[in-house]
Amino acid sequence: MKKDNNTDKITRKDAIKKMGKYAALTAVGTFVILNPLKAQSSSPPDPGGNPFD
Amino acid sequence: MNHSLGPTYEQLLGSHWVLWYKTSNRYSIVDENFKALLDAYLQSESINTFRSNLDIANADTIADRIQYYLEQCHTQDIDQTVSATLSFKPVIPSFSIHYECFGQRFQINFDSELVKKTIHPSIAHLEVNTTKKPNVVFDVYLDQDQLCLFKNKTLLRSAPKKDYHLIQGKFVMELLSLIHQKEESDWVGTFHGSTISDGTHALLLMGESGKGKSTLSALLVAHGFELVADDVSPLLSKDLHIYSNPSAISLKEGAFEVLNPLVRSFEEIPETLFNKSKGPLKYLVPNPLLKGSYSCKALIMVNYAKGKPTKLEPLSIKTPLETLIPESWLSPKPKHARQFLDWLAQLKIYELTYSDTASVVKEISTLFKTLPNAQD
Repeated sequence: MKKDNNTDKITRKDAIKKMGKYAALTAVGTFVILNPLKAQSSSPPDPGGNPFD
Repeated sequence: MNHSLGPTYEQLLGSHWVLWYKTSNRYSIVDENFKALLDAYLQSESINTFRSNLDIANADTIADRIQYYLEQCHTQDIDQTVSATLSFKPVIPSFSIHYECFGQRFQINFDSELVKKTIHPSIAHLEVNTTKKPNVVFDVYLDQDQLCLFKNKTLLRSAPKKDYHLIQGKFVMELLSLIHQKEESDWVGTFHGSTISDGTHALLLMGESGKGKSTLSALLVAHGFELVADDVSPLLSKDLHIYSNPSAISLKEGAFEVLNPLVRSFEEIPETLFNKSKGPLKYLVPNPLLKGSYSCKALIMVNYAKGKPTKLEPLSIKTPLETLIPESWLSPKPKHARQFLDWLAQLKIYELTYSDTASVVKEISTLFKTLPNAQD
């Protein structure tokens, strides 16, 4: 099987995406985009603890 | 340019603009520089006009980034919380418990001890010994790997059992609507935070997990303040008040030592072990409230920091909103989004750093005294 060795090469668009919720426009301003929860929730459990398992 | 790409609502809060996009129910916080560029972009006849009007070397990059920003603001998330279609299975429940709160009676049937632990411990103090017919019957049970919540035999929500917090959240929404005689569509949102009152106003305590919100709430309750809500604080559209959530304060083991000398009979409160990652929990029952709802006047970002002196400092809206919005359910209705922005605009915002109990109680007492006296 051909192995794809280009995983470390990312496009400029990908690079912007990888900046996550912060995308800084240096010198021209900053923004952050926030998503409320889609459904009501209580405090989510910490990773690794599932009482049903 | 397509003006419809702009935010549906915008609100200046201190030095930041909070923008809301109807298509995605996303909020965006931008600084004044970015807002000016965004406005210029949206008002330009074309991208080329915008670029030429900017008349700077990196105009292309700026135009690209604003375009990218708007794409993100209008991207709708796939709702992964939609319940599977499951019909009610009439089974004999292992536990059938009656509760009463604010004159409303309800019954919950649980199919096992483990499933009971998802909901019962936080409302155990509402349990009543009665044969009266309940207003509502809930059924909570596992159907293969799905944890299901039914109301009068109609499915409210199912979720993979590892996501039991979604079932807890939906139950709390139902409980709040039942006891306050509201519909789910009456609420602007449910905030992940605790609300405390001095009998006149309320403060919303929020912060990341482990920063001491619930511990501080318990401390303040031990010193005579009222607990309006722990963990889930609901805001009603009609009067923009935070309504009481009768659930007990859930306390992690780390808080036991601090609270033991301050809360009467703390040692006698039984420990509940449900999720190993959270460790044993104690549920502290709040005192009955004088009122069912309060007007919230301040948002406090809580930060427990061992050894640090108590300090209450004004804070920009940006940091608390970055924690509050992703952890809260906010109604996607435009009317509610507008109300949420207006509600934020009247809040005072603080960061509270604390480790010492006596000084933090004093600081909060002083803050309550400085709040405006309006009763609305």
